[in-house]
Amino acid sequence: MKIVQRIERILSRIEGGLLVLFLTAMVVLTFLQIVLRAFHTYGHFQWANTVVGYLDWADPLVRLLVLWVAFLGASLLTGENKHIKIDVMSELLPTRWLPYRELILSSVCIVITALMTKASWSYVRMEWSFGGTLFLGMPTWIGQIILPLGFFLMLCRFLLRGVGEAVQLLGGRRR
Amino acid sequence: MILFLLILLIALILFGLPIFAGIMAAAMIGLHQSGVDFSAIAIEIFRLANAPVLLAIPLFTFAGYLLSEGQTSARLVRFSRSLFGWIPGGLGVVALVSCSFFTAITGATGVTIIALGGLLFPALISEKYREDFSLGLMTTSGSLGLHFPPSLPIILYGFVSGASIEKLFLAGLLPGILMVGILCLFSVYMGKRWKLERPAFSFSEFLMALKEAAWELPIPFLIVGAIYSGFATATETAALTVVYVFLVKTLVFREMSLTSDIPRVMIESMKMVGAIMIVLGGALGFTNYLVDAFVPMKILEFMKGMVETKIGFLLMLNLFLLVVGCMMDIFSAILVVVPLIIPMAARFQVDPIHLGIIFLANLGIGYNTPPVGLNLFIASSRFDRPIMTLYKATLPFLFLLLLTLLVITYWPPLSLFLPSFLN
Repeated sequence: MKIVQRIERILSRIEGGLLVLFLTAMVVLTFLQIVLRAFHTYGHFQWANTVVGYLDWADPLVRLLVLWVAFLGASLLTGENKHIKIDVMSELLPTRWLPYRELILSSVCIVITALMTKASWSYVRMEWSFGGTLFLGMPTWIGQIILPLGFFLMLCRFLLRGVGEAVQLLGGRRR
Repeated sequence: MILFLLILLIALILFGLPIFAGIMAAAMIGLHQSGVDFSAIAIEIFRLANAPVLLAIPLFTFAGYLLSEGQTSARLVRFSRSLFGWIPGGLGVVALVSCSFFTAITGATGVTIIALGGLLFPALISEKYREDFSLGLMTTSGSLGLHFPPSLPIILYGFVSGASIEKLFLAGLLPGILMVGILCLFSVYMGKRWKLERPAFSFSEFLMALKEAAWELPIPFLIVGAIYSGFATATETAALTVVYVFLVKTLVFREMSLTSDIPRVMIESMKMVGAIMIVLGGALGFTNYLVDAFVPMKILEFMKGMVETKIGFLLMLNLFLLVVGCMMDIFSAILVVVPLIIPMAARFQVDPIHLGIIFLANLGIGYNTPPVGLNLFIASSRFDRPIMTLYKATLPFLFLLLLTLLVITYWPPLSLFLPSFLN
């Protein structure tokens, strides 16, 4: 269990690092294009327009990053059990029921994310066989790989939490 | 079997199953029923990577999270105190105005009560405002300002409904001002009745507070200006806002460090983005199934005998959204409910822009509605008061907000007047 938790922590750091990198890229690339376009429109610099022309991959890349950021963020969120949910029952249920609820909900989430991992994996394989490209000759399936990957990461974290709850419940009863 | 699964699923969602998992499961049940492969959901989720508008969501969220750190909230409160503090019930007005302002510039991501409550609540108490009044005021303040740019709920509504975001921002201005305005009048009235002591207006304090807040006060106006002058699209404006806020926080005030605070806030804000966008992904998959299975048509058919007039429809919509609003957060509510309502609204000739403003007003009020409105719980834990106390304290404010809701819903020109200039 210890080693699993350590892997999870390392994973979280990688995800966090990627989030910082991607968000920075989104801001910089979008800002750069605005500035260059302003140079061209208001300062009549021809070179600015040329550079914008070279940056035609930036827009699709940034759009793709939105998806990647969303899934990385959602994966981190799963580890902290902070997904958006209707949280009325935490106030209304007796406290000693809460671990059981947690266990049930984690199990359901495991099933759902597992099905989604499988579904998005078959989507990626489908795209792979079509061989389409996104931008700069990058195959479409590389952009899409975040779907099965993201769902798989969430699956692992739900699994980790479910097992954790179960171990605690069993341990508690034995004592 | 299917019915049993659906009932089980709804029960699980009410017990706290993450919304995204719930709607993805619902979509899967539906697709299974119509014999379609589940990868249809993945195809819909990948659409998230093809919508330029969505880039505005991570960018505005990041800017909002940057602003909710450090002393921005204190500077805003100081400024509005110097401006409104001297009128009767002035501190109440200060609280309402600075909370709405803060909600607006942070994109309505739900941080307002937490960020401003600790500043304003003790101040209200020390100026002898009654405790229940102050509690109610702070609770309702948490969802004011949802209508002002760059509100994320508006961007999401625009994305889901296909309505123009530029028009929606304009449409929200007057209804938003009406909601804040009515509560301000209430505070002034109470301040007069209680004969509270009030500080005199000090011009030098006003100048000092203005100077301090001068970097952050113009943000909403810059956003509106950039969009409506045609200088930048909503998305580009979001990038400009991030750069501006980033420079203000790191260079002007030097209150956030580049190496530790900024990456932390980046990650925190992107978790929020993940929370919203994964629900959005699920909602896209679910809606796709609903449309393929003609579900909105079936609901329309079903409603035909029950509701015949526009007024009747709007009334039902109001009640329905109040219930939804007190259970769900505004983001998932918009994502899940809007696609179902749009065809019905079209049948009753409700303008999609007006519909968006009704949604926002309604769901915002739902946040304060007992028994389970989200603001009530946030305030209960933030101010450490029992939830029953907050139910009672919020009641008069809730009543006033419901009045404004009626005005907003049944008087469309209030919403549609400003956007009509935008053609």
